[in-house]
Amino acid sequence: MKILIPLKQVPDSTVRVSVAPDGKSIKTEGITWSISPYDEYAIEMALERKEADPSTVVSVVTVGPARARDALRQALAMGCDEASIVIADDAIPPLAVARALAKVIGDAKPDLVLCGKQASDDDQGFIGPALAEVLGWPHVATITKAVPAAGSVELWREVEGGHEVWTAPLPALATVHKSEKEPRYPSLPGIMKAKKKEIPERPFAALGVDASGPILEVLSMEPPPSRGGGKILKDGDLKQVAEKLATLLRDEAKVL
Amino acid sequence: MKVLVVAERKGTELRRVSLELASKAKELGDVSVVEIGGERYSPLPFVSALAKKVEAAAPDLVLLGATQSGRDLAARLAARLGRAYAADVTDVAASGDSLEVTRPMYAGKVRARLRVPLPAVVSVRPGAIPLREGAATPEVTKIEADAVAEKLTFTKFAAVASGGKRVSLAEARVVVSGGRGLKGPENWNLVEQLADALGGAVGASRAVTDAGWRPNEEQVGQTGKTVTPDLYVALGISGAIQHLAGMTSSKVIVAVNKDPDADIFKVADYGVVADVFEFVPAFTEAVKKVRAG
Repeated sequence: MKILIPLKQVPDSTVRVSVAPDGKSIKTEGITWSISPYDEYAIEMALERKEADPSTVVSVVTVGPARARDALRQALAMGCDEASIVIADDAIPPLAVARALAKVIGDAKPDLVLCGKQASDDDQGFIGPALAEVLGWPHVATITKAVPAAGSVELWREVEGGHEVWTAPLPALATVHKSEKEPRYPSLPGIMKAKKKEIPERPFAALGVDASGPILEVLSMEPPPSRGGGKILKDGDLKQVAEKLATLLRDEAKVL
Repeated sequence: MKVLVVAERKGTELRRVSLELASKAKELGDVSVVEIGGERYSPLPFVSALAKKVEAAAPDLVLLGATQSGRDLAARLAARLGRAYAADVTDVAASGDSLEVTRPMYAGKVRARLRVPLPAVVSVRPGAIPLREGAATPEVTKIEADAVAEKLTFTKFAAVASGGKRVSLAEARVVVSGGRGLKGPENWNLVEQLADALGGAVGASRAVTDAGWRPNEEQVGQTGKTVTPDLYVALGISGAIQHLAGMTSSKVIVAVNKDPDADIFKVADYGVVADVFEFVPAFTEAVKKVRAG
């Protein structure tokens, strides 16, 4: 089975994001970039399949700036087999990104495409469903498990109270919410091997896909409203503190 | 502006977010509300039915709740129709011949205002739009999911033991979450008893779901659920950035932790520096007493 994961390079989740002086973007100088967390879950899910069946081939692709090569290198070091990049600047409409990925998938012919359910920069969650739409494939959203069978794949979708289990004919696409295990760290031999791998590159314009599509214009960005200056209750008998807190929640905060 | 609201039902009741959408839509213009009938959500049958409705009614704006299914349906619908899409907005307003929306980005670390060209599809975060008490229930037209479009087979439902009893985490007005300070899954009765006393849902930090103490679906945070309840109670949670990203938009935050320097206290409206094992049973009793009047 051939599994392909489109991934996005985003600011690492430990980065304290701050707004740039233009008020419309974030400061990117000196920040650490990583694979978006849900894409990491998708990679982990694919690598678990590869462990169960070593004939599985796992490839990653990104549509993004040249720096996103580092995220692909990170995926190779985790154990992915192949990586490629479509060089594009950020101004490309999301629908055109989905078309570019569909073109790559048309050439690579994977059996299963796993997309993180959303990238942790814009948090839109558009690309996975849009890619399925452009390909004309069915998809299953927010899965936590994929189990291949003959000519199909069983996809476990986490919902309130449990999992819906869907069977999809191949090729299939799913957006990933979690993997069964935490995403693995790259091993040292993995890092050495990844360094030697070629990462073929194509400019977006060379794909010959329609570059049009609606774009959202950022008007402003600001930090979320700050909180704090709350009341700290620490002194006295715990029973009295508990009663005081319950009373404050009713009379002052008005939430009880 | 013509607005089409896509309502969702849980059991027989309309979801609260659907009422919130209908109330927001009324501010924006002419409203019609549809719900899609079908046994369970599946992208192709739902998108196919909804796209036909949108093509026929030609609304400027389609509003959906940013629920698990709503977000998925909204994205695929926007792609099918070539419409602009903004996900998980906390506010939407008309601005000339386009929309202006507010939405969190970078896992809640930034709040952005964006211009969205029309026609558009927008999903709105549950709990973000204030709902007047006693707001009228909107008139809802039902359309049927397009079964012919289905290419998937539903095989089974695998229930988890803990699920289903309490309110859904994403829409709950009260959420009580437990962290590593609870020391193990055997102590979750403390969290559950307080949640029951408050009539709320149970959540957990990532450390707890990663350790397998609680199911993934209860995780609150950047890679879990984002919640915006009226009251969020964090028990034995230190307050890692990744957890804060999922709960700092709550109206009132209560934190209980024995470490006075825990980061969770920086976002708390009420902080209690105490051992959860000693404090929570007393607090549960106090809540019951206060609620009983």
